[in-house]
Amino acid sequence: MRIVVCAKQVLDPDAVNNYALAGRLVIGEDGKTLTQTTIPQLMNAYDEQALEAALRLRDAGADCRIAVVSAGTDPTTLLRHAAALGADEIAAISLPSSGQDYHVIAALLAAYIRSSGGADLVLCGRQASDDDQGVVPALIGEALGMPVVTVARSVERAGSSDRPAVRVTRVTPDGDEIVEAACPALVTISNELGEPRYPTAARKLAARRMKPTIVSPDELSLRPEDLEPRALLTRQYVPTVQGHCEFVPGNTPAELADRLVGLLREDKLLQ
Amino acid sequence: MTSAAVVVCTWRGVRGEIPEETEAALTLGRKVSSALGADLHWLVVGTAPEADAEIAARQGVAALERIEDAKLAGGQADAFVEAMAQYCAQRSPRLLLFNQTFDTRLVAARLAGRLGSGAVMNGVDVEAEAGGRLRVTAAAYGGDTRVVYELAGEKSCIVALLANAVVPQPVEGAASSPTRSDVAVDLSGVEERIRVLEPARAEGLRLEDAEIIVAGGRGLSSPENYKLVEQLAEALGGMAGASRPLVDDGWVDSSRQVGLTGKITRPGLYIAAGISGASQHMAGCAAAKTIAAINTDPDAAIFRYARYGIVGDCLEILPELIRAAKQGR
Ligand SMILES: Cc1cc2nc3c(=O)[nH]c(=O)nc-3n(C[C@H](O)[C@H](O)[C@H](O)COP(=O)(O)OP(=O)(O)OC[C@H]3O[C@@H](n4cnc5c(N)ncnc54)[C@H](O)[C@@H]3O)c2cc1C
Repeated sequence: MRIVVCAKQVLDPDAVNNYALAGRLVIGEDGKTLTQTTIPQLMNAYDEQALEAALRLRDAGADCRIAVVSAGTDPTTLLRHAAALGADEIAAISLPSSGQDYHVIAALLAAYIRSSGGADLVLCGRQASDDDQGVVPALIGEALGMPVVTVARSVERAGSSDRPAVRVTRVTPDGDEIVEAACPALVTISNELGEPRYPTAARKLAARRMKPTIVSPDELSLRPEDLEPRALLTRQYVPTVQGHCEFVPGNTPAELADRLVGLLREDKLLQ
Repeated sequence: MTSAAVVVCTWRGVRGEIPEETEAALTLGRKVSSALGADLHWLVVGTAPEADAEIAARQGVAALERIEDAKLAGGQADAFVEAMAQYCAQRSPRLLLFNQTFDTRLVAARLAGRLGSGAVMNGVDVEAEAGGRLRVTAAAYGGDTRVVYELAGEKSCIVALLANAVVPQPVEGAASSPTRSDVAVDLSGVEERIRVLEPARAEGLRLEDAEIIVAGGRGLSSPENYKLVEQLAEALGGMAGASRPLVDDGWVDSSRQVGLTGKITRPGLYIAAGISGASQHMAGCAAAKTIAAINTDPDAAIFRYARYGIVGDCLEILPELIRAAKQGR
């Protein structure tokens, strides 16, 4: 089977949090991009876990080729990392000059999947940690006519060799749900999948020699409307957080606790 | 009115409830519809809530619409997407507004793919410009930033509204008297492609409904210490929550996770012990009326959101809080 993993490069969310806390998040002159060059770029953690899900399927005995594809500016580092982890194919889709949004990105990814040999299983992270939208997987699923199973903690092979399927455990707000879908299918992966593996030194070295296939939008025979952005990012800003914390005074844990409970009772928040 | 309508779309969750946030979406929908000079519709998919007429009237809804079909009873995505797509083909609404939930996140996004229209999740506000163009403000980076998207094109736009983003407000002046209609859809061709082998079992109370939440984070330093959080929650008659690392490390079940990718809560009191206050965590508790935080680090982000703070070791403070909570009752 062929598994395609879609991966996005993002700014390290922990670093963004720290900059935000320090009041040092700066939006660039275009009014919409975070410009700190000191914030490292990473593979979106959920996407890395999507790749991990693919690798686990292979570990479990699935005879599969794993392709990792990324649409964006210079994903070479990300794709090398994917190769070091065990991807058999890596591909970078360059972005159209006419601007892009999730719809364009999803159209590009879907067209790449279609034109590169199709997929029995598409794996994506549940959302990207920069925009948190999580729309692209659903759009790819619709474009390729695949069922979309979201927020998985595990993906296993099911069905038979001539009718392959996947069994997926989803993390819902009401607990785990186990579902099955026939392949081809698209599954989004959540952090509950667990820690992704680290590449070995030897694999890292080998990955350096692996060249990503560069795909340009023109090669993907898209319709003009596929390349029309529909939700254009026009502005980004840092909201203000109103701090008004009253620090409870006290010398011992007992004193601090009594004071806090006293305050909460005064405020009628506790009985 | 002639402009295409703004439609708030809701359906009952697996527990049969209509999202409480519906009124917030209706309030926002009303703002957008009046800016556009359009009608506000409320589309209920599946069984209507009991008080729908009163809610609709006080929110200024012009038309209450309903889609009912046996295929929708299972709550599965294929039927919902098809039903909504047929609705849009018949009525061409300008904007479809959903309350963001686990299920709508998938259905709304797939519907956007089906219709070829623009969609934005994590919405906190929608504005209509004079020319009719829609601008959606959404949370990004877990809430560290806000982004504004401009929705282009003639097709129905789709926005999912974050819980607690809008305060519901009744219409000023006279309530509306909404018309009622059933929208016919044909779902005979829908065969759900995803088969549920084991449904999720919703157990007991939901964190979303708790009046008091005591949540623990990595500052608890080891799984045994989470019982302090549970004991304090019990002593206060509340529920225990957690930050994501505790779920990741298997200390607690994922149904306890508060945050962007966990539960969005709105308790009267939220006590955070050993939680740093990352934006993604705060996305699930910033709407609490009062936050009290215990953290060894006086510069922790959580204190920016907290009303009361204790700088100290939660392993020392929590046992004393449990004692104090039990004493005064
Ligand atoms: C896309 C995305 C989605 C996410 N979704 C969520 C989500 O839904 N929910 C969520 O919680 N997180 C989420 N996160 C993770 C989030 O960014 C933080 O990493 C996480 O919330 C940190 O958890 P924490 O506060 O328990 O741990 P830490 O950040 O490690 O903080 C521990 C805190 O405990 C304090 N401490 C240490 N020892 C003690 C002690 N003895 N007594 C008192 N205080 C002590 C420290 O000073 C520190 O402030 C998400 C991240 C991403 C990128």
